[in-house]
Amino acid sequence: MSPSLASGTAPHREQSLVRLGLSPDRWDILVALAGNPNTGKSTVFNALTGLRQHTGNWPGKTVVRAEGVFAHEGERMKVVDLPGTYSLQASTVDEEVARDFLLFGRPDVTVVVVDATRLERNLNLLLQTLEITDHVVVCLNLMDEARRHGIAIDVDELERQLGVPVVPTVARRGEGMQKLLTAIHDVATRQRETDPVRVDEYAPEVEAAAERLEPAIIDAFPDLPNPRWVALRLLNADARVEEAVRSGEIGQLRADAAPPPVTGIRMHGTSSDSDARGRRGGGRSRTAVDAGGVALAASAEEIATEEAHAEVLRLASELRWTLPENVHDTIVASTYRKAEEIAKAATSTPSARVRSTLDRTLDRLLTSKWTGFPVMLLILTVVFWLTIAGANVPSSMLATLLIDTVHPALNQFGASVGMPWWLSGFLFDGVYLATAWVISVMLPPMAIFFPIFTLLEDFGYLPRVAFNLDGLFRRVGAHGKQALSMTMGFGCNAAGVVATRVIDSPRERLIAIITNNFSLCNGRWPTQILLASIFIGALAPAGLAGLVSASAVVGVAIIGMIAMFGTSWALSRTVLKGEASTFSLELPPYRPPRILQTLYTSLIDRTLIVLWRAVVFAIPAGAVIWLTSNIPIGDQSIAAHAVQLLGPFGALVGLNGVILLAYVVAIPANEIVIPTILMLTVLVTPELQGLGEGAGVMFESGIDVEMVLETAGWTLLTAVNVMLFSLLHNPCSTTIYTIWKETGSVKWTSVATFLPLVMGFTVTFLLTQVVRLFGGG
Amino acid sequence: MVDPLFALTVFGLVVAALAVTLWPRFGIVARFRSGRNAEERVRMEDALKHLFKSEYRDRQATLVSVAGALESSQSTAAETLERLREAGLVESADTMRLTADGRAYALRIIRTHRLWERYLADRTGVEPGEWHERAEHQEHILTEEEVDRLDARLGRPRYDPHGDPIPTSSGELVRPSGRPLASLDPGSEAVITHLEDEPRELYDRLLEAGLSPRMRIRMVAPVPGGVRIEVDGRVVRLDTMAAGNVTVERRDTPHTDAAGADTLADVPAGGAAVVVGISPSCTGVQRRRLLDLGVVPGTRLVAEMASPTGDPTAYRIRGALIALRRDQQRWIRVRDIAEDADDENTNSELVANSTMTDGGAAA
Repeated sequence: MSPSLASGTAPHREQSLVRLGLSPDRWDILVALAGNPNTGKSTVFNALTGLRQHTGNWPGKTVVRAEGVFAHEGERMKVVDLPGTYSLQASTVDEEVARDFLLFGRPDVTVVVVDATRLERNLNLLLQTLEITDHVVVCLNLMDEARRHGIAIDVDELERQLGVPVVPTVARRGEGMQKLLTAIHDVATRQRETDPVRVDEYAPEVEAAAERLEPAIIDAFPDLPNPRWVALRLLNADARVEEAVRSGEIGQLRADAAPPPVTGIRMHGTSSDSDARGRRGGGRSRTAVDAGGVALAASAEEIATEEAHAEVLRLASELRWTLPENVHDTIVASTYRKAEEIAKAATSTPSARVRSTLDRTLDRLLTSKWTGFPVMLLILTVVFWLTIAGANVPSSMLATLLIDTVHPALNQFGASVGMPWWLSGFLFDGVYLATAWVISVMLPPMAIFFPIFTLLEDFGYLPRVAFNLDGLFRRVGAHGKQALSMTMGFGCNAAGVVATRVIDSPRERLIAIITNNFSLCNGRWPTQILLASIFIGALAPAGLAGLVSASAVVGVAIIGMIAMFGTSWALSRTVLKGEASTFSLELPPYRPPRILQTLYTSLIDRTLIVLWRAVVFAIPAGAVIWLTSNIPIGDQSIAAHAVQLLGPFGALVGLNGVILLAYVVAIPANEIVIPTILMLTVLVTPELQGLGEGAGVMFESGIDVEMVLETAGWTLLTAVNVMLFSLLHNPCSTTIYTIWKETGSVKWTSVATFLPLVMGFTVTFLLTQVVRLFGGG
Repeated sequence: MVDPLFALTVFGLVVAALAVTLWPRFGIVARFRSGRNAEERVRMEDALKHLFKSEYRDRQATLVSVAGALESSQSTAAETLERLREAGLVESADTMRLTADGRAYALRIIRTHRLWERYLADRTGVEPGEWHERAEHQEHILTEEEVDRLDARLGRPRYDPHGDPIPTSSGELVRPSGRPLASLDPGSEAVITHLEDEPRELYDRLLEAGLSPRMRIRMVAPVPGGVRIEVDGRVVRLDTMAAGNVTVERRDTPHTDAAGADTLADVPAGGAAVVVGISPSCTGVQRRRLLDLGVVPGTRLVAEMASPTGDPTAYRIRGALIALRRDQQRWIRVRDIAEDADDENTNSELVANSTMTDGGAAA
């Protein structure tokens, strides 16, 4: 391999890659992976990189982007998975990210994943990619689905039409991946020349303007590989491209900043016209480019260049006035016309026949007026039942292991090595116990809920749920896909907030993020169930107690959904009124889910990440809880002082100081609210002194909760208030952090944090005062 | 324990106090904000804008008209004019002619105003009726640099959403073309070039009638006290006042594309149609999204199924199944509606025939 490639990247290019958020490790070939959503792009990514992938976020962006490095024929290939987009017009964040990477990240080769069953639509993105870069390999994926639908694609013809290699694949079974790798390698090293097709029939006014602008661009940037594309983008007033022209950055995108010329093997069947068109500025060695890029030019020359840049922009803005106003429409229409033409030439069946009878039957069952909602309710009930019932056993096993077995063992160990009481107390009773609580309560339900959820998603059912419920969500100004993030929120709000990424309209996404907290999460179910069975179930005759307390919990969850719809409605009509809003919802074809792959990814992507964040926040919480209850000021611990301080306000809203303090220290995780309340109650209630292991230690299992709470003066009203407040209060710190990461805005994070808190205080206050007014409480 | 009656009363008072302070448009905070508009600089800029628009339309500005534009007394208006003269922006307070500097200044304000309206139209969900008012506020706040950045970000738009040309950064403003709507002969066709957005009441009436710039209309007939025109296949009536705020340009070639008033919303579930175009009132991100999905003239859409609540409906668009809401369906004009889209034997060329033959063959 040539040494210039092994060095990774040229200096200026490395800079722009770092700016684009790429981790600067070493590689020989940089591969970008582009494609429409739902084309199996991530399957191709996984098939290419194997399990050595790690996922990461774009800095400052909300879009997930995965990178992976693997070796092929002794070379390190780095694959960057770009967000799935329909187009590269840079009208959404995803599109901007994808476009900027293709343009300024200058991958050695771009793999465009194309859905063989939707060739025409996918070609739209491909044609736009070919305008930017010549070095493209088409991965014609989902060939098995195409065959199943009776679509026959003439791959050779398609390759001839497009002028770039086309590799048919079935990524989920690994078919065609070797050929894809070879094609990637050959195009990246320029052993295989490409001669991409261009859309050349734009509206006459556009063509005329582009023709006048192109010479000026070539004048200013002689080595540009795609002056025509730059001309069109300037005529469309693309801010990023204008900026790149002004600063001269675009000049770095010289043709073939890649390896020295190789005796290339031309592609079959394209030699005739590729010779005729030729390639601009090919064969420049990378070192020469680098020298040109960093060398200090004489100042006079510099000024001349700057003038040339300005001239390009001036001419572009002048020409823009000669264009019809809907120039963008005509460009898109031309691209689609070309796509249609190519698809027609390469496909033997009309693309119309793509929905199988099975898909139609399923859709008729899952989205029809009469069966849509019942089936949906049934499926969701089964999912929740599986989660709650299935999590019980492992949860109590974990609790027995971590809390009843490991915790005393740790304390014993501490005593045996002569740890001072404060150290073992801090580490084992504070930090360890809090973390153990969180893990044993949180892990099992999430490990069941998320994989099931992901399976439904992969199968294609969840988009149908969004489709079914969109009518409801539309009325409150939200997006049907909010049904997904809401349901996900029942598992974990942080995961629910992440799940709002599927909503591509800014206003609806904010609504979904802010209201996600109204989905009663997993960490709050135990609080509800415990209080409902002690205080509400006790009101009913013994035989019905279970049913009554269960209905109370479901009732709270329903109040949460009402709050979600109400808040969505209010937000979309007040503070969020001005945010931009678009709607589109693609219903992908049903695909048999791959169980193992799903288990793996949902465990990695959702369960473990969320658990990790929760643990990270639980550790300091455990420390704070232990410290506040064990460090005395005067004759009382800090916690007792705080409880006294919060007492009057607590009484006003029908809670008490202990509950409020517990919610303050338990911000990191709702799971530890109940243990914290119990611990603090014992700490500050004189009648309970000496109970359990003693003050300042989170409880081990097996104490009489009912007795403790009633001794501390809890009434039915207190319990109902705690249940309501558990629903309506600030999100846990994991969720707050996630909201901040997703929105990048302090303002919206604050709204999402404080709005439910204000609502919670208002509701408990009104309930308490009204009950007292009528002599209750 | 606090007396509950007392607690509830205090709570009620706090809520009332918050409402009085923060209520949008009428609360104290909102009033305070709009009160700042009365600052001297704002008045001067508004006066400049008025004088420029008068020159541009070949109308003589008067003290009365300036006072009207500023919503102030004539003495305040006179004072403002005097300030402008001192600043060298107006030649004299009597002729009210702008100096070159004054003209450039006014153009900058107008540029900010129209760009901001474009921004609101393309990038936000603010309702059309509010664009003008918000821009009136924003035009005094943005700096020249911010405006240039906005311009670049919006893709250097040439017209504001009402059809007014936006002055360029170098201060050029193209002349508007067109004639009043009422001057059209019955039966003739035209394209709307401009909708006047002031006063708000009249503009709201135009919005209600479904008008937007670049839309094709046909004059049906003048009627007593107004006109009847055909818009998107519907006939609407506009009174003389409202019609006076519409500028049009004649199009002698009858427009072939608007075969009728049908939109995607008229296609029954299971049916199909061919796209004619997207209504000009669909702009910005919304429009781009539809285009990217493949909703371009000539695309055949098949209405696969309606959701259980009836809205949205899922359409097969170039091979993919996409759900569109009713609002979006109404933007998409279609022709050749087929009641029953059977995949095997129809394509876009055959749709017209299949309307007749396939009607009864529903599965």
